Amino acid sequence: MKKQIRVLVAKPGLDGHDRGALIISQALRDYGMEVIYTGLRQTPAQIVAAAVQEDVDAIGLSCLSGAHNELFPDIIQLLKEQKAEDIIVIGGGVIPAEDIPFLESEGIQKIFTPGTPTIETAKFIERAVYERDGISLDQPFAVNQIDHIGIAVKSIDEALSFYKDTLNLTFEGVEEVVSQKVKVAFFNTGNCRLELLEPMSEESAVASFIEKRGEGIHHIALGVEDINSRIKQLQEKDVRMIDTKARTGAEGADVAFLHPKAAHGVLYELCEKQTRG
Amino acid sequence: MTSQSTFQKEYEQWLEKTKQLMERFPERRELFHTSSGIPIERLYLPGTAADTYQENLGFPGEYPYTRGIQPTMYRARHWTMRQYAGFGSAEETNKRFRYLLEQGQTGLSVAFDLPTQIGYDSDDAMAKGEVGKVGVAIDSLEDMEILFDQIPLDKVSTSMTINAPASVLLAMYIVAAEKQGVPKEKISGTIQNDILKEYIARGTYIFPPKPSMRLITDIFSYCAEHVPKWNTISISGYHIREAGSTAAQELAFTLANGKAYVDAALEAGMDIDKFAPRLAFFFNAHNQFFEEVAKFRAARRIWSHLMKNVYHAKNPKSWQLRFHTQTGGSTLTAQQPDNNIVRVTVQALSAVLGGTQSLHTNSRDEALALPTEESARIALRTQQILAHESGVTDTVDPLGGSYYVEGLTDKIEEEVYSYFEEIEDMGGAVQAVEQGYMQEEIQRAAYETQKAIEKQEDIVVGMNAFKLDDEPQPKLHRLDKELSRKQIEKLTQIKDRRDQNRANARLADLKYAAGGSENLMPYIIDCVKDHCTIGEICGVLRGIFGEYTGA
Repeated sequence: MKKQIRVLVAKPGLDGHDRGALIISQALRDYGMEVIYTGLRQTPAQIVAAAVQEDVDAIGLSCLSGAHNELFPDIIQLLKEQKAEDIIVIGGGVIPAEDIPFLESEGIQKIFTPGTPTIETAKFIERAVYERDGISLDQPFAVNQIDHIGIAVKSIDEALSFYKDTLNLTFEGVEEVVSQKVKVAFFNTGNCRLELLEPMSEESAVASFIEKRGEGIHHIALGVEDINSRIKQLQEKDVRMIDTKARTGAEGADVAFLHPKAAHGVLYELCEKQTRG
Repeated sequence: MTSQSTFQKEYEQWLEKTKQLMERFPERRELFHTSSGIPIERLYLPGTAADTYQENLGFPGEYPYTRGIQPTMYRARHWTMRQYAGFGSAEETNKRFRYLLEQGQTGLSVAFDLPTQIGYDSDDAMAKGEVGKVGVAIDSLEDMEILFDQIPLDKVSTSMTINAPASVLLAMYIVAAEKQGVPKEKISGTIQNDILKEYIARGTYIFPPKPSMRLITDIFSYCAEHVPKWNTISISGYHIREAGSTAAQELAFTLANGKAYVDAALEAGMDIDKFAPRLAFFFNAHNQFFEEVAKFRAARRIWSHLMKNVYHAKNPKSWQLRFHTQTGGSTLTAQQPDNNIVRVTVQALSAVLGGTQSLHTNSRDEALALPTEESARIALRTQQILAHESGVTDTVDPLGGSYYVEGLTDKIEEEVYSYFEEIEDMGGAVQAVEQGYMQEEIQRAAYETQKAIEKQEDIVVGMNAFKLDDEPQPKLHRLDKELSRKQIEKLTQIKDRRDQNRANARLADLKYAAGGSENLMPYIIDCVKDHCTIGEICGVLRGIFGEYTGA
């Protein structure tokens, strides 16, 4: 069902910094793609010839010398001349934000800037290739499991011994989630985890929760894949979201909350773990 | 005896108490380790490092130089503040150089554009889009003269990041100085001239390893005779680290390359004490503060041992590892770029506490583009604050004797020697490079780092944690769009003006000499004097030596 995607990773221009190109090659391979890496100092003509000969689905260009505005459009032009414009071209490297609209208007599908997780690039290529080939990637809304249950407490220190010693659950550690102004502690119950949430400031949402309703169950986190697509699907069904875009929660997971009014009074969190790769 | 056993007893009690505490409050990770995979203990105690002070540390300015190469270090004179700069045309870069000197910078460091670094003229098809981008475009002697216009070459020391065509740029510098009235015996500076790390990590190679090593030893022997104050090579770990190596790999591969250059010079018949004092090194200052300090200290100890006991150099100057440091470019984030000022400060401090001879501090916006003038100034000010305000310069090697730092210094040294063994087994650094050994080791480490970042085992502030939803776009340095056209015009004019017959004759002489075994430096200097371009000179050498195409 899934097709093997072939990618040419290429370095146009004269710079020898191929750390990024090598990393993305390895990451795409780990994702299940076939990757051909051209090596350094390839002219646009060499890159297009290799892409056509290797019959690739996509080309990833990496350039750190600043020559991207000249060289990337040349590659697109040559692909057109070779009637190979169905090859998807993406780019990365040291590329100022203000150059991106120009490059995208020239036919580069997307520019990935420094700091982009490699999985994001892999997923982008996969989606673009499937869309081009008319294969639908959209999965119906699905929940894998209950990832964890959030419990608001006034003090983790005070609650710790009940969970650890009385209930004898495995303690997995404490973490501060600065963006949410909470301290969290995780316990493993076997197939679902409990997350104690202690407010670090009075402005924290957890603080006002405790003030209004006292300690107790705060939210339920549903494990999902491809969280941003799931958010879109909910929005299409008019489900009100607190977060319309995933953000980083505890343990680096991507999370987004649904509004409790849209979910019969329950605060649900969608949660996607960054584990692949 | 009793005090020792009391200590042991108290230590065990402390351990027991700590264990109990950790049941309630576990540590942040189960294992802590450095970038090189060296495990980090909770606490370091007396007896961590070998306690033979004289043998392992010694006094500063004395073998094995662990504590520094001068007896007084920064109490006498601060390190040279040397900011790498260059972009666009020779005129523009000359202006930036004069600005930096006015701001209190004490040495120059030239960045060349990629066509220059790979021996192409600005009008070569391979140069498309690259002219003046990552550094200044230099095609011929005239560009070099403009670059140093009104800068007294007998007073300023200049470092040039140039490798494969190093002899050509050095020749241009020598001739430009002579035209200023400064004889070559008086000029001082450094050429990077380290081709092995180009094959390993940086990529601006031209010729295959063997003829490249000849060009390098030609420079060694020419300068030993005629340009005595010139540092003929800067053996560089910087780019190896940028490509993703660990601290221990950076040091091991750099020093292994250093040995390869020494071997090549000895094979060419040179006396060790004639060239070894002019060898310089170039390291990276990365994020893990203590490991970096330990790395610099270990570097000196290892090199002095090699030079004194393995190569039997007699001159103490040959034993001393002198180095330049640049803060780690790959640690800078494109996100929230002002945070980079803080990263650079911590990294620069490690270089200072590691006893560097000169330092480049990166600008906050280098993950995005070439630095603006304001960013470049803040970077320089960072060094000036460390030098003049922090007080860390008031004693020699202030971290010496730290249980942790001394322990790490020993551990890094061990790691380096074990890499040496592996490289020796392959037949030395040149062979290891040809087989792609170092390249693979680095790539593996780089991929591990990337995965750790993506899994958030490693936190990069502003990038995979503590992010901002809306990143403001900083003002970036933009280059003159007309630059390439202007540079090509200038090049055409020079070719029209020069005596073409003389230029042809010089190139023919060089071609003949390259086919033999004479020192090529005098021939290249003659070419430069008669306005042959870098593309023409390297073109002749490409014809004789061939081109390298990757391991």
